[in-house]
Amino acid sequence: MSTIDLKLLIWRQKNSDSLGDFETHVLKDISTDMSFLEMLDVLNEKLTKDGMEPVAFDHDCREGICGMCGAVVNGVAHGPEKETTLCQLHMRKFASGDTLVIEPFRSRAFPIKKDLMVDRSSLDRIIQAGGYVSVNTGGAIDGNTTPVSTETAELAMDAAACIGCGACVASCPNGAAMLFTGAKISQLSLLPQGHAERKQRATAMVAQMDKEGFGYCSNERECEAVCPKGISISSIARMNREYLKGVFFGR
Amino acid sequence: MWFISFVNSSIGRKAIMAVTGLCLISFLAIHAFGNAAIYMGSKYFQIYADTLHGFPVLVLLFGLGLLVILTAHVGFGVLLFFEKRKTQSRYRVATRVVENTFASRTMPYTGLFILLFLIIHVFGFNIAVPADVPISAVVKDYLSGFFYSLFYIVAFVALAIHLNHGFWSMLQTFGVNHPRYNCLIATLTIVVPVAFLVIFGGIPIYFMTGAGASF
Repeated sequence: MSTIDLKLLIWRQKNSDSLGDFETHVLKDISTDMSFLEMLDVLNEKLTKDGMEPVAFDHDCREGICGMCGAVVNGVAHGPEKETTLCQLHMRKFASGDTLVIEPFRSRAFPIKKDLMVDRSSLDRIIQAGGYVSVNTGGAIDGNTTPVSTETAELAMDAAACIGCGACVASCPNGAAMLFTGAKISQLSLLPQGHAERKQRATAMVAQMDKEGFGYCSNERECEAVCPKGISISSIARMNREYLKGVFFGR
Repeated sequence: MWFISFVNSSIGRKAIMAVTGLCLISFLAIHAFGNAAIYMGSKYFQIYADTLHGFPVLVLLFGLGLLVILTAHVGFGVLLFFEKRKTQSRYRVATRVVENTFASRTMPYTGLFILLFLIIHVFGFNIAVPADVPISAVVKDYLSGFFYSLFYIVAFVALAIHLNHGFWSMLQTFGVNHPRYNCLIATLTIVVPVAFLVIFGGIPIYFMTGAGASF
């Protein structure tokens, strides 16, 4: 089993009101088979043994599908590996002697709760504003009642792959949530089930996005590059179309 | 009102940039078409200029319209620039996965340089033109000067860089992003700025190099 030694510069912040700063820790004999979060677990065990406060970080499934984990590693959201969440990033991607600067996802709309934990409920409020479909109550509808072509279903699924981790916001030079909102709008507007609320959806979701303090899009494609699910900026273009249609032709 | 909230929204502001940008590109295309008459000789250029200014009311209305569009483009551009500054350098280590292009990085600066050029250009060829000198003579007089011409060429290069990001960005803002056309758009975002650079930039070179000595 090969191991590496690392130096961590990790962001420590007591709560949303206090000022944070970097703390330096040296970790020895980290197995290269560990995931990034397991490496943080090792750090926390060590801190606990030493009677210090462990580093708070969000995580849940640890298999890259829940969207709970995430931190900025050496300036890149979810670290250097393409289309990979932080929990699926393995320590074999780093070399012995590396210094890792670990920071929380930063945005005006993501207040830091503690250390690497940020409050991403602003994304939930964007969904609440319009990311839903209306379904009649009563008996369940038979499968295939509404025909959807395979291509459309695949496109909608590509957008629905968004796990809402917030990496797009964290890496955007403008702190925009365009890729997230674009993906959520795309997923619903592509399918016939989402057509009932189509004209209000984009207007409502974009209005909430702006209210939360997210920025605008300057088409620099950084979000697309860091997205662990490979969501394309064509989602943003679709959102722009939906929004313009909603604003000019909505009722 | 719906239009106010549209203009205040993040996508609305970008849409204003895109619409005004499209208007300005259209104007540039007409301007380039007219100015290409210079390459045919002073006689043809003078005919073009006289014909155009034979409709003073239209020229005035068109000019005022352009002023409004340009003011909106610059105004919203500056607003977006300051908004962007608020989110800059928020990490200890700043790394870009996609190296942003020189054009997108310098949009506000190329834009402001073009504005400076426009002020000098409009002053030189519109406001401060003596009434008794034909415009073709003024053009030759000004653009035969080395530094004046050099300034024009630098401004046209800035324009080409600005359009390189602006053209694609405009289409993306309008929602034009389709696998069938993305290749064409990628080509056009180079071809359109280069075309303007060749047509406009050729004019000062034409006079500077002496090729237009018999103009």
